[in-house]
Amino acid sequence: MRAIASYPIHDEGHGYDVFGLHADAVRRAVRWGRPLYRRYFRVESSGIEHVPSSGAAILVPNHSGTLPIDGAMLWLDVVQRTGRVLRPIADRFVPRLPFVSTVFARTGVVSGTHTNVRRLLEVGELIVIFPEGVSGPAKPFRERYQLQKWRVGHAELAIRHRAPIIPVAIIGAEESWPVLFRIRAFHAFGAPYLPVPASLVPLPVQLHLHYGPPLELHRQYPVEAADDPDALAAAAAEVRAAVEALITRGLAARRGA
Amino acid sequence: MKVLVTGATTPLGVALVEHLVAQPWVEHVLAIAREPAGPFASSRVTYASCDLTRARTLHDLLWGPGRRLGIDTVIHGALHRSARDRGTRIRAENVGITRQLLAALERHPTIRRLVLRSGAEVYALRDTEPNLLDEDAPLELDPAAPQWVRDRVEADLTTCARMCSAGTAIAVARCAEVLAPASGSQLWDYLQTRVCLRPLGFDPMINLLSVADHARALALVARSSAVGVFNIPGADTLPLSRIVTLAGRLGVPLPGPLLHPLYQLRTWTIGLEFRYDLNLRRFHFGGVLDGTRAQQVLGYRPRHPIWPRPNGEPPGARGLPRAPAFARR
Repeated sequence: MRAIASYPIHDEGHGYDVFGLHADAVRRAVRWGRPLYRRYFRVESSGIEHVPSSGAAILVPNHSGTLPIDGAMLWLDVVQRTGRVLRPIADRFVPRLPFVSTVFARTGVVSGTHTNVRRLLEVGELIVIFPEGVSGPAKPFRERYQLQKWRVGHAELAIRHRAPIIPVAIIGAEESWPVLFRIRAFHAFGAPYLPVPASLVPLPVQLHLHYGPPLELHRQYPVEAADDPDALAAAAAEVRAAVEALITRGLAARRGA
Repeated sequence: MKVLVTGATTPLGVALVEHLVAQPWVEHVLAIAREPAGPFASSRVTYASCDLTRARTLHDLLWGPGRRLGIDTVIHGALHRSARDRGTRIRAENVGITRQLLAALERHPTIRRLVLRSGAEVYALRDTEPNLLDEDAPLELDPAAPQWVRDRVEADLTTCARMCSAGTAIAVARCAEVLAPASGSQLWDYLQTRVCLRPLGFDPMINLLSVADHARALALVARSSAVGVFNIPGADTLPLSRIVTLAGRLGVPLPGPLLHPLYQLRTWTIGLEFRYDLNLRRFHFGGVLDGTRAQQVLGYRPRHPIWPRPNGEPPGARGLPRAPAFARR
């Protein structure tokens, strides 16, 4: 595990970046999250060398769980092992959540609007986008490790901003805290639904993170393809296939095959 | 360049006129305000006192001293500062003058450029909108918005609609909030009491502009021939809680629904300008201006922070304005 003295952030003068990220908050989050990372979920990861040490890049994983514990463990893994602060792109209802919105902002989470994401990539940040959105965590347990509706925004951003995509498979989170059912009528704070989990707390299932080789869509597609729906669909399908292949390999490795 | 500046006796107007006079490319400044006399000593400044809401007065000014001096650029920053006032006279001040200036621009023999000083308050702040506001961010078009906001949006949009007029070069500078007294700053007024209430569970990022950067940015826009809208951010981007601390105030987080009645009570008892309904969304979701376009086209980058930086840069260094002094109440 890499020892980290300081986290590089685009300080706007008072220790914060424009989205509210603060290095001290990152340090605190790593300190408090480490017991969960090491002892509870016993996270193991492979292929971290595929994550570039500098410059803009987009991590694209599968998504699951009642709460985004997969995203939190991925964040901890990247921060601790690369020294870069991963910037998760959150759903647009997140800024409405009291306390959560502030904690998320201080640790690097950014609301998923076009302007916000463009700025992150322009300044060379490492971001993570879950193309399944809320449909990933909302899926029933029987559909675990089956990718849901796969949006194309990540492919558009990769082509437009010439950033590599690193496919990631998160194995274990889909069994750790599955959703029993959803209360669809619940929309407090703009939430799409209220998840009712199968257990009170997440189960201590070991998490395995598999980072795949970078997909350099910007070498296959010209910038103009970022506006071409067919090209975007093809590029997003390529990313989806890469994530699915990593999931298949990760599940086989977990079974010991 | 010969520049006409409206609202010249406000703290921002005075700083702008003084900054313009210090520039070698400015030959003369015609400073306009309602006060009978202006605080300008330079021989390169002509002060004229007039009420611009009267169409005849404005016309006579532009075709009289304006034409004689050969004014070629107008920087219009005369907006009503109080957020509590409303009515047709306030609207005439906020929107009417802009309309008159735009109409005059097409007929005037010497004026070729108009710069409208707009503000970040024209942007709609929502949980679904970006934290970083570029010039294409949605504007606050809610008919239920207070007149203070509606007037500013109307003046801004009216100016934008005339940008393509032949023979004129129009620019809109959407400035971040300038934290200074008598500048219409809501945040300045918010920080005037010892205890500052803020919504529990939220600590949004806010960008503030210093008086020096405000003057410098408007001068850069005036000097350029660029047409369009330019966001003018300041050098201080920090959370609301940090602003309260730096101002030497005690920040008290309270549940959001309590804040509006409490601040209304404060207005009734103390009579301050701060309106929580104007700032409700900003105090929850924040909003920082993206100055990329101003940087690329005008070469503007904020230089003068309001507060000293944590890295030890002292206030007042490099000619910076001193940290604002807040009155004790």
